[in-house]
Amino acid sequence: MIIELGHYVLVLVLATAIIQSLLPLAGTLRNDPALMAVAPPAAVSGFLLTVFSFGVLTLAYVTSDFSVLNVWENSHSMQPLIYKFSGVWGNHEGSMMLWLIILTFFSALVASFGTNLPERLRANVLAVQGWITAAFALFILLTSNPFLRLDPAPGEGKDLNPILQDVGLAIHPPLLYLGYVGFSVCFSFAIAALIDGRIDAAWARWVRPWALAAWSFLTAGIAMGSYWAYYELGWGGWWFWDPVENASFMPWLAGTALLHSALVMEKREALKIWTVLLAILTFSLSLLGTFLVRSGVLTSVHAFATDPTRGVFILAILVIFIGGALSLFAFRAPTLKAGGLFAPISREGALVFNNLILTTAAATVLTGTLYPLVLEALTGEKISVGAPFFNLTFGLLMVPLLLAVPFGPLLAWKRGDLLAAGQRLFAAVGVGLVIAAIVQWAHGGGPVLAYFGLALGFYMMAGAVTDLVLRAGVGKVTASVARKRLFGLPGSAFGTALAHFGLGVTVIGIVAVTTFETEHVVEMKPGTTVEAGGFVLTFDGMRQGRGPNYTEESGHFTVARGGVRVTDIWSSKRVYTARRMPTTEAGIRTFGLSQLYVSLGDPMNDGGIVVRVWWKPMILCIWLGGIIMMAGGAVSLFDRRLRIGAPQGARRPKAAAILEAAE
Amino acid sequence: MLFWILVAVLTAAVAAVLLLPLLRAGRSADVAEARDAEVYRDQLDELTRDERAGLIGAAEADLARAEIARRLIAAKARAERSAPAGPARRNRMAQAAVIVLLPAAGLGLYLSTGSPDLPAKPLAARLANPGNDLNILIAKAERHLIDNPDDGAGWELLAPIYLRNGRLEDSANAFRQTIRVLGASPQRLDGYAEALIALADGVVTKDAREALQQSQALDPNNPRTRFYLALALEQEGRREEAKAAYEALVKDSPADAPWLSLVNRHIAGLSADVPGNPTSQDVAAAGDLDAEGRAQMIAGMVEGLAGKLKENPDNFEGWMRIIRSYVVLDQRTAAEQALQTALKQFPPQSENGKQLLALADELAISVKDGGK
Repeated sequence: MIIELGHYVLVLVLATAIIQSLLPLAGTLRNDPALMAVAPPAAVSGFLLTVFSFGVLTLAYVTSDFSVLNVWENSHSMQPLIYKFSGVWGNHEGSMMLWLIILTFFSALVASFGTNLPERLRANVLAVQGWITAAFALFILLTSNPFLRLDPAPGEGKDLNPILQDVGLAIHPPLLYLGYVGFSVCFSFAIAALIDGRIDAAWARWVRPWALAAWSFLTAGIAMGSYWAYYELGWGGWWFWDPVENASFMPWLAGTALLHSALVMEKREALKIWTVLLAILTFSLSLLGTFLVRSGVLTSVHAFATDPTRGVFILAILVIFIGGALSLFAFRAPTLKAGGLFAPISREGALVFNNLILTTAAATVLTGTLYPLVLEALTGEKISVGAPFFNLTFGLLMVPLLLAVPFGPLLAWKRGDLLAAGQRLFAAVGVGLVIAAIVQWAHGGGPVLAYFGLALGFYMMAGAVTDLVLRAGVGKVTASVARKRLFGLPGSAFGTALAHFGLGVTVIGIVAVTTFETEHVVEMKPGTTVEAGGFVLTFDGMRQGRGPNYTEESGHFTVARGGVRVTDIWSSKRVYTARRMPTTEAGIRTFGLSQLYVSLGDPMNDGGIVVRVWWKPMILCIWLGGIIMMAGGAVSLFDRRLRIGAPQGARRPKAAAILEAAE
Repeated sequence: MLFWILVAVLTAAVAAVLLLPLLRAGRSADVAEARDAEVYRDQLDELTRDERAGLIGAAEADLARAEIARRLIAAKARAERSAPAGPARRNRMAQAAVIVLLPAAGLGLYLSTGSPDLPAKPLAARLANPGNDLNILIAKAERHLIDNPDDGAGWELLAPIYLRNGRLEDSANAFRQTIRVLGASPQRLDGYAEALIALADGVVTKDAREALQQSQALDPNNPRTRFYLALALEQEGRREEAKAAYEALVKDSPADAPWLSLVNRHIAGLSADVPGNPTSQDVAAAGDLDAEGRAQMIAGMVEGLAGKLKENPDNFEGWMRIIRSYVVLDQRTAAEQALQTALKQFPPQSENGKQLLALADELAISVKDGGK
């Protein structure tokens, strides 16, 4: 009975969303506060109902209720408990439920914490959220219903895809979706503003915290996904320019641009139209990503054409929301008043430069992702656009942007002085070059360009610190005043510095790994050795093992440096019994920020086994940088709370409740 | 019954929550512009604080203050101009929408896809009380065998049940385990061979033939074994030998044996002329054929495809299909030759060539003079 109740409640979610999408909008059109007031309770109850429905599905997974088709297809009674939980969203139907629960969660947040918003704006925002919720709830119920039953019920499930039986799956999709779906709030704000025809600096201030939160989650989600692919797939790569990866990367690029342009809009009321467009584009790219991943169009255009129900449904959602939003934009944008003026060399100018490059980069990635699909659909020819294309186009685009990053925060609003900013960055440039030179002296070898890449990374890190130091007035005022000033800086200043610093850390990781990593593919027999990253690995032999739902063969390696045993590595290959599917569990050992990565290949006839050994210098910097960036976003987001206790803070009774990122 | 009561209560609760704001009359909305002004006042405060802390120069602060003040004044002016929202009207339409839409949409959609009478079936409860739930009995036996893989009787019990339920791979494995633990017998070997033949869509594969031959060695007069071995000969194209084997089987069988009609049909088929390449009607008819007939059809189709590929070798899909078919029919030399020819058309470096090599790898066909 409980299963059927979960199913019915899911239908109620749809009905509630329809009411939420219609009545508040009618309220703003008729200027009727009672109708507008329906929005918050509808959003909150929609969220609670979704939680119930999702909970029931989870219960079915945990109790291995194979009378539920979805559970039978994606679970197994012998699976460890954590994978029974994460298995809920490890399949198409469940992941759409996750999407829905996060969407309604954000709606409920707007309803509960948006009390400082003008009522009309809040009603419209929630109505737009209601449309999106209704569209996805209908999609789930009609094409991807997780509550369909089997009678008689099978005795055992088909198991979760072994690649997904990993802690990574427990964390990665929720983070990613919190990012993807978080941008729906920005989208709803943009549409609400367009419907009402009012967009001003205050709007940007209300949107920014949502953009910041979504961006932080998306950053963490992408970094997590990259690390997961790195250790689980056993290919030793950390980014493959795979369409699925690109699908999450494009909203990130557009979202980063949105974050920066909203800043300009809030401070100077400039770039209004552009910011609204970016808000629409960012969520559109999220939707496009969902379409690419969920419709099956990536596996094969033909497979998509033979069973198009789901794909066509998502495509319809895509066309209605993106097309509708852009039409509304085209209709309303000319009536919006342009905002403040600024000189090309100014903080605003720098942010425009940032926006231009980021959107071009997003367009490049979009082209590289969609071109093979279009080509296959038109001519039937199958090509893959891989790393060379992206490295050349995307990489080239990024260099000027990365060089300019430290300049942005140092330029004044309205009219800046590039020369003065450059002079202040002398130290940072020096730091970058000196450290790169030291690395060259200590390490040697490698292409010259690599050292410039490293210098770039260190320069960005030093530039971020420079910004804080200058703001604190070090050198101009006494040390104690400078310290007081530093701690008095608004959280968003720290947020900016942290995010830019993290970007520098990631750049260092990327440059170090791409240019200095070593790869050895060798056939090993017990007793043979291979050298990597200054370590000597000795292969000791294989061992058979058995897990709860798999059997495995593990190879044991002893790692030594200078003849002294340092540690050992187990690297295994598993076969999951239910699906008879093999997976690679790479053996990874961390030394500081670098890693030794051992992956087993095929056994040879003469008793040996093919082993791949990588030395990945500074690879952890790539994800560490991502975490620092996310921390920057979080610090910015909690800015206001941090400042409430500060002594200089003026008393502002009403605004204290405002959930926002100040500055 | 309880289910429907809960459904009614839930629907009513949600409807009540949505109706509440509609029923609360007489409230008026605030003026949006007042909220704008709040934000700008906040910005002014922040500016003053930054100036006092020395984060911004006095001249810049004055400029910024003037700009924010302009926005503040504009917002205030707008606030005065715009009339506050009118008093709440009665919203009978909206109330009706809530009262009607929730149950109507809810029940309408649910009843079309839901199974209201089906109770939840958590596995633990089913295992504790299996009743005559065949799937659970199988699952219980499977769990038992995971812990006691040497329980031959258990494997022997499961093997034919799997075969009847279409779990062919599991069935083959269960027969294999039975033979491993309890030793070979004609019954077990034939069952194993049947599972393998069913897995290969009616083709007597090499493994199946070996099992059958072993069975025949144990019991030379088992009609089932003899039939499948004759079928193997027929599928290999050794028509005369197959016909002789079938005829010998008929001779040794009692006159009322149930398998006679099947055997006689095969004899009749072998006496007729060699069939030509199958047409599309033949392919459509294949669905109606029995397993043996289908295997014959496959062999015929492979011949036809080979002919087409000779005329028009630029057919990548065709090569992939024919290599796979040869392996299924256990004609590995033919598969290797086809691969060689295909690789000439699609060089190993090309995308298609790589797929061919991958296929060869998958099917364990050797690639002469190395693609890589």
